[in-house]
Amino acid sequence: MNCGEIARQAPLYISGELDARQAAEFDAHLRTCAECMRELERQARIDARLCEVVLAEEGDTARIDRRVRELIAAKAAGQPLPQMRPRFRGWAAAALAIAAAAIVLAGVGYRTLVRQPVAPVHAAAARDHELEVVEHQRRPWLTDPGQIATLAEQQGIARSAVTALASGGYRLSRGKLCFLDHRIFLHLVYTDGVREFSVYLRTRDSKPLPVTAREISNGKPLCTSDLDGEHVASIETPQLTAVVVTNESSDAALKLARFASAVL
Amino acid sequence: MPLSRSLLRVARRITSDAAAAEDLVQETLLRAWRGFEQFETGTNARAWLFRIMFNAFYAQGRKRRSGPVLVSLEHAELELEPTAQPLSGWTDAVSVSRALNGLSEEHKTVLMLGVVEGFKCREMAEILSLPIGTVMSRLSRARQALRERLQVPDSRPEGSRAGAACAEREAS
Repeated sequence: MNCGEIARQAPLYISGELDARQAAEFDAHLRTCAECMRELERQARIDARLCEVVLAEEGDTARIDRRVRELIAAKAAGQPLPQMRPRFRGWAAAALAIAAAAIVLAGVGYRTLVRQPVAPVHAAAARDHELEVVEHQRRPWLTDPGQIATLAEQQGIARSAVTALASGGYRLSRGKLCFLDHRIFLHLVYTDGVREFSVYLRTRDSKPLPVTAREISNGKPLCTSDLDGEHVASIETPQLTAVVVTNESSDAALKLARFASAVL
Repeated sequence: MPLSRSLLRVARRITSDAAAAEDLVQETLLRAWRGFEQFETGTNARAWLFRIMFNAFYAQGRKRRSGPVLVSLEHAELELEPTAQPLSGWTDAVSVSRALNGLSEEHKTVLMLGVVEGFKCREMAEILSLPIGTVMSRLSRARQALRERLQVPDSRPEGSRAGAACAEREAS
């Protein structure tokens, strides 16, 4: 393949739709062409950031779901379908917004206001894990351990780190790049066949994570956060930042982070 | 409702209006309910729902083009902007969101389906009723257009960038 063919086939390569022979040719070109490799990495960063920005702008679907259920129930009961919801007038939208704000403050918002501050990277990791692992939003994951290790290497992370993190019956399931708090991370998912946990890895920044360390594990500061449904724990080695996210429990997150501190 | 969040996310971008997006998702789910017997068990339910949504959207578009435009795009952009404070550089959320909003409907569509929702090119071709070559080239050009808006340089030589345009010519 030449650079033109690489540009043409890139959408299929990124989405994992090339057959094995084409993918091998594509990889072979990337190994010899630094420009195409740089270009693909840059595109992966932009794609990951675009995902992060759009997914952070979640809309509320409760009103749509309720309305659709009402319409279906009316139809099932033999009633004619009512007219579609008229567009909200400005005053009605404002009144709804105020009511919604009051409800939020009375419920979930209060918890948010009083709980301890959470490091942005912990919050971003929890959200990413929820969307991509718990809810299984479809993403172009790499599943071949060799390709994942190469991706790690391209990010300055030792290939051995990827396999070393599998512990207690867990194995590496998939990996890809993602953006958390304006930084690119390697997102690895490990599974024991039933449960899954995420590890987000990147080469260490000059400044430490803005979270108070809960303990020092194997000489490395270990920080934890509990968010709605997700338990996050991170460690920092001289070379790497590793953020672990699980839905199991804060104890499980702590154990996984301690294990990471021993092997990284 | 299954997938209503994904549908709403894409609908907000392609309609550029929060209320129109809600109407479109509502219409999509009702059409899916009415036409559920046409869904083949074992096939891709997600792609099927998105195809229904785009059919509804294009049908609305035909009506829109023959009637007055009621939606203020300026207002819509404000609604879609994230609440995060602007930071410097292309990774700033406001810049990325604005750059996406500023793209053509075709480009926003393929970026939302392919990059954000993770559909494969073959699935997008099915959803949008387009040849796969057209989807590939459109996705390449949409990525390029987004980069230009974000002012992220392309280091590839001109010749290799033109590959996308060739693919579209071949497809059509």
